[in-house]
Amino acid sequence: MAVDRTAPSPGKPAALEPGFALGDSAIQGEAGVGPYKLALRRLRRNKTALAFGAMFVVIVIMCLCAPLWANHVAHTTPSANHITDEITVRGKTKDVVSPEGIPTGPTWTGKFFLGADANGRDVAVRLLYGGRNSLEIGFIATFISCFFATVIALVAGYYRGVVDGVLSRTMDLIWAYPVILLGIALGTALAVGGLDFGLFTISGASLWIPAIIIGVVYVPYMAKPLRGQVLSLREKEFVEASRSQGAGNLRIMFREILPNIASSIIVFIPLMVANAILLEAALSFLGAGVQAPNPSWGTMIGDGIRLIPSAMHLTLIPGGMLVLAVLGINVFGDGVRDALDPRAEVRIEH
Amino acid sequence: MRKLVQVLVLGVAAAVAALGLAACGGGDDGGGGSEGGTAKVVIGTAPDYLDPQEEYTTQGAEADWISYTPLVTYKHENAPAGNDVIPGLATDLPQISQDGLTYTLTLRKGLVFSDGTPIKASDAACTFERMIKVNWGGKSFFTDNVEGATEFDEDKSDDISGVTTDDNTGQITIKLVKPYGAFTNVLAFPEMGLVPCGTPEHTLTTDLPPSSGPYMITDIVPNKSYSVVKNPKWAGLNVPGIPVGHLDRIDVTIESNTQTAAQQVLNNQADNFDAGDTVPPSLVSQVRSQASDRFEPVTIPSTFYFFMNVNEPPFDNELARQAVNTAIDRPALQRLASGFLEPECFFIPEGLAGHPDGECPYGPADGHGDIEKAKQMVEQSGTAGQPVTVWGEQRSPRTEYVEYYTDLLNKIGYKATPKIISDTTYFPTIGNAKTQPLQTGFADWIQDFPNPVDFYLLLTTSSIQPVNNENFGNVSDPMIDSTVAKLEPTPTPDLDSVADQWQALDEYVAEKAYVTVYGSEQVPKFFSDRIDFDSAVVHPTYLNDWSTWQLK
Amino acid sequence: MARFLVRRLLAMILVLFAISILTFLIFETIPNGDPTVRLGGRNSTPETREAIRKDWGFDKPIYEQYGITMKKIFTGTVVSYTQQINVVDEIKRDLPATLSLAIGAGIIWLGFGILFGVISAMKAGKFTDTSLTVLSLIGVSTPVFLLGALALWAFAYKLTIFPAGGYVPLTQDPWGWLTHLIMPWTVLSVLFIGFYSRVLRSNILDTINEDYVRTARAKGLSERRILIHHVLRNSLIPVVSLFGLDFAAVIGGGAILTETVFNLQGVGQYAADSIQQLDVPPVLVITMFGAFFVVVLSAVVDIIYAVLDPRIRLSG
Repeated sequence: MAVDRTAPSPGKPAALEPGFALGDSAIQGEAGVGPYKLALRRLRRNKTALAFGAMFVVIVIMCLCAPLWANHVAHTTPSANHITDEITVRGKTKDVVSPEGIPTGPTWTGKFFLGADANGRDVAVRLLYGGRNSLEIGFIATFISCFFATVIALVAGYYRGVVDGVLSRTMDLIWAYPVILLGIALGTALAVGGLDFGLFTISGASLWIPAIIIGVVYVPYMAKPLRGQVLSLREKEFVEASRSQGAGNLRIMFREILPNIASSIIVFIPLMVANAILLEAALSFLGAGVQAPNPSWGTMIGDGIRLIPSAMHLTLIPGGMLVLAVLGINVFGDGVRDALDPRAEVRIEH
Repeated sequence: MRKLVQVLVLGVAAAVAALGLAACGGGDDGGGGSEGGTAKVVIGTAPDYLDPQEEYTTQGAEADWISYTPLVTYKHENAPAGNDVIPGLATDLPQISQDGLTYTLTLRKGLVFSDGTPIKASDAACTFERMIKVNWGGKSFFTDNVEGATEFDEDKSDDISGVTTDDNTGQITIKLVKPYGAFTNVLAFPEMGLVPCGTPEHTLTTDLPPSSGPYMITDIVPNKSYSVVKNPKWAGLNVPGIPVGHLDRIDVTIESNTQTAAQQVLNNQADNFDAGDTVPPSLVSQVRSQASDRFEPVTIPSTFYFFMNVNEPPFDNELARQAVNTAIDRPALQRLASGFLEPECFFIPEGLAGHPDGECPYGPADGHGDIEKAKQMVEQSGTAGQPVTVWGEQRSPRTEYVEYYTDLLNKIGYKATPKIISDTTYFPTIGNAKTQPLQTGFADWIQDFPNPVDFYLLLTTSSIQPVNNENFGNVSDPMIDSTVAKLEPTPTPDLDSVADQWQALDEYVAEKAYVTVYGSEQVPKFFSDRIDFDSAVVHPTYLNDWSTWQLK
Repeated sequence: MARFLVRRLLAMILVLFAISILTFLIFETIPNGDPTVRLGGRNSTPETREAIRKDWGFDKPIYEQYGITMKKIFTGTVVSYTQQINVVDEIKRDLPATLSLAIGAGIIWLGFGILFGVISAMKAGKFTDTSLTVLSLIGVSTPVFLLGALALWAFAYKLTIFPAGGYVPLTQDPWGWLTHLIMPWTVLSVLFIGFYSRVLRSNILDTINEDYVRTARAKGLSERRILIHHVLRNSLIPVVSLFGLDFAAVIGGGAILTETVFNLQGVGQYAADSIQQLDVPPVLVITMFGAFFVVVLSAVVDIIYAVLDPRIRLSG
């Protein structure tokens, strides 16, 4: 819960205002331009957000290029051990891992560009492959959270009554459990046995396990505010209008209400990605997240902390990368929120 | 005349000076250290228990060994002398009948517990019964061998029929069901340290029984701290061979951050870094250079190996197993242990009778392994490309050992993936026949007592069980079984007479490549500069012997 | 008011019940998590394991086991699997460290969070605001264990200003207590300060545009009076509610990462260690304890809400 929350909740963007979705551009002062186009325009003007967003994209691309680096520059794989190997850097020969178990720092050459870890593995290669894993988990978890939160918010907020009661209490239950404890408990439990759905099983070492856990844990974070919005939206006139025209429940939920909460969902997405990446790092640090042999920024930091006084690079490099990635997406997410909230304009002039 | 007086005076002065020097130099309480004082120990892992009949780790043993003395015990000395059994609370080593089935001991006269109650022969019987009732992890050493012990364990009788005591004569007689040469060592376990009859038969955490050794355990705050203080009654008992102790008090704090613990000892803020902990790799070079006169790695008789299941492919194939032994780079594993590992290839560790001193069959122990040759062997065996699951524990450096091993298996032609699980569930998991797949993984064994039967119970057919198996590789070889059965009744003090037979067996096991041994562990002997380094004993089985410590 | 309290109480009991069941079930699914084998030790015999199974009731069906454990918890006699230590006693021993951490950090993060939030809002759009925002975002993007590890290295090993982790009770040595907690307080607060200052900033900016503020300004009230009496009072409401929940979460084990990195031996660290050792009783007790705190504090917060905002009181 609290400790690992990253960016603030989106507040209540005025994109909620009914009629916004109907393109009431008279309020916005420009004729015939849709709200999302306007938001995009505002976003484009926000140079800081764009810069940080670009940084995030650069990091993603770098990580996607992991195999290129591994095969053509470092000539190794993320799990190949080179413990007793020696390398020659600028004429001097040195051990990849010293007899006392201290790995070499960055060599700034093709092999072991960013140094080696305790098992003699190439840090740069692991950083990129680990980044792929961390980002993959972040995106999958976000997708899971968004999907379920939206469905639950719509169903609970629209139908109310018993359905809402059950769903809301379940959300409360998951939320009352401190996020980290729930994550560790599930992570530990599932890492050993994996998940068995009868039709198919997910092995305990798969990346899907931490992704699912993080996704599930954050569903209430999104579902509760969305449900609140759905609750108030359903009382609005346009819903009644639609019903009087003969629209069924499902149609109302997905054609009328969903578009109105869409901007909130969009604002949530970057936040959730940031949250997910951070929670994955925390869980992996505690041993309940990504399992060996898969690298991730979290496992690299966890391994590196053991050797801080003598091999700082093992902590600083994945740590720095993680902070930059999360920062990038947080600032960008902030920009998205400002862009979708028309009152932001008023604010800046003030 | 004046000159004569001068010479005489000088002569007398010189004589007095010489006498004085002689008096100061020799004839002291050995070692030249001082008596009394307090020491502070930092331990990284809390003892599993402090209850004398329950504990089964070195952390627990360190406190219990010097507080509860068994009928027989070990010499309080470094290896190899520390492996010798001496009388404890008994007058002498046990008298063993010709058929090896009856052990007779006599309790010393005039012994009392720390609260003044006299120690009686029947207390020994009560101690054995308590050890069984509280379910000590090693109780099978006793119940498998002593008549009536299994029935007592199963609640079918009120006492152990094979144990008879006489409080008047102090005699204790134990009958075995089969001749077990290491039984004297079993009697020397700290878990056989005597406690009074009437001690509750459930785990005690803060209220321990009165002590029967040089020290007693007090001020227990579970998982945080405890202390041992001198048992005031002990010195008067004059038990030979067991030190009365120099320090008055030893305060133990649990400091799970070994970095902090090592730093404290380095800065002389604490006196001892527990031998059961690992010096964090980042501090090793600093410790070696800054504290060279108070730090030393000590090899303990232990075997670290990778088990290979002979009932499952690919390791049901002998050539495949030999390939692993050919490829392994033991110095690499040594580096992962920050240097605290002695590369070895034989199952019986160094320091134990029967340890082969010949060449390793698949490459020198300190060699870097031959990957190319191993690859060919794997090809030849027809097992190349098979998926292999490698089991491992979570804590460092064990998880690193397994990650190295997995990569090695991949290099020689397998498709290996590691499966790292929590330390708590590790041995129950790999010891469970239902665990699938169970092909290979981390294993270790630290000697319980200095007799190869202790290690070979890991390789005999009779020890295979569906739950809590210790023969993880399911090794079942009639040659091993028959040799062990033949050598098992040899009493420990007579081991040297059969050492060459143990050696031959061990060389056979290495050739068949039933396991891949890579080394023996080294523990840190690391003190502050307050404690006299040379006289402090690191016992081969119980590690730090606090009763030998003294301030400089 | 009474109805409100009763409803909250019922909800709390239900939540605690549900949490305990969830925890129990999670651990039941773990293969080889059966404590019998672990409790028996490495060389245990089948007889030993049978005895253990009977003693602890592991041979009974799961709902009976649940009942037995819950009874033990409520009579304070529940013991852990690993060392058979009384769990409630152990929690009592660990609580001072967690409370010290939570209260100290709470004061710091609330104070600085509000301060930075107000400054940011007043200088909205200007350089101060942007830099404070970026700083907050960095604080919120840095994992707390990374920050903690780096702080330890910088201030405890390289420059030995602060002790390298551990906790000293206040009653034992007040100065030591303080020096041991400064780094954990700072590290834990950084995350929250970033978060709270931004929430407050956005609330203030929302409130400033409300009609009643415009009215107050038109009436001629000073900017300062408006800020403090009208704007701040309303903006702080959501912050207060967040604080209540976050504070409760920290006490209930949410500060696991900080406690682990600095080895404070608090409730959170105890929970994390227990989970990793698959030791169910302490995990059950701590999660219930944490949830209890969250529910109680959220009820307290709702009451404060009602006091501060009459509209809420009236709508019930």
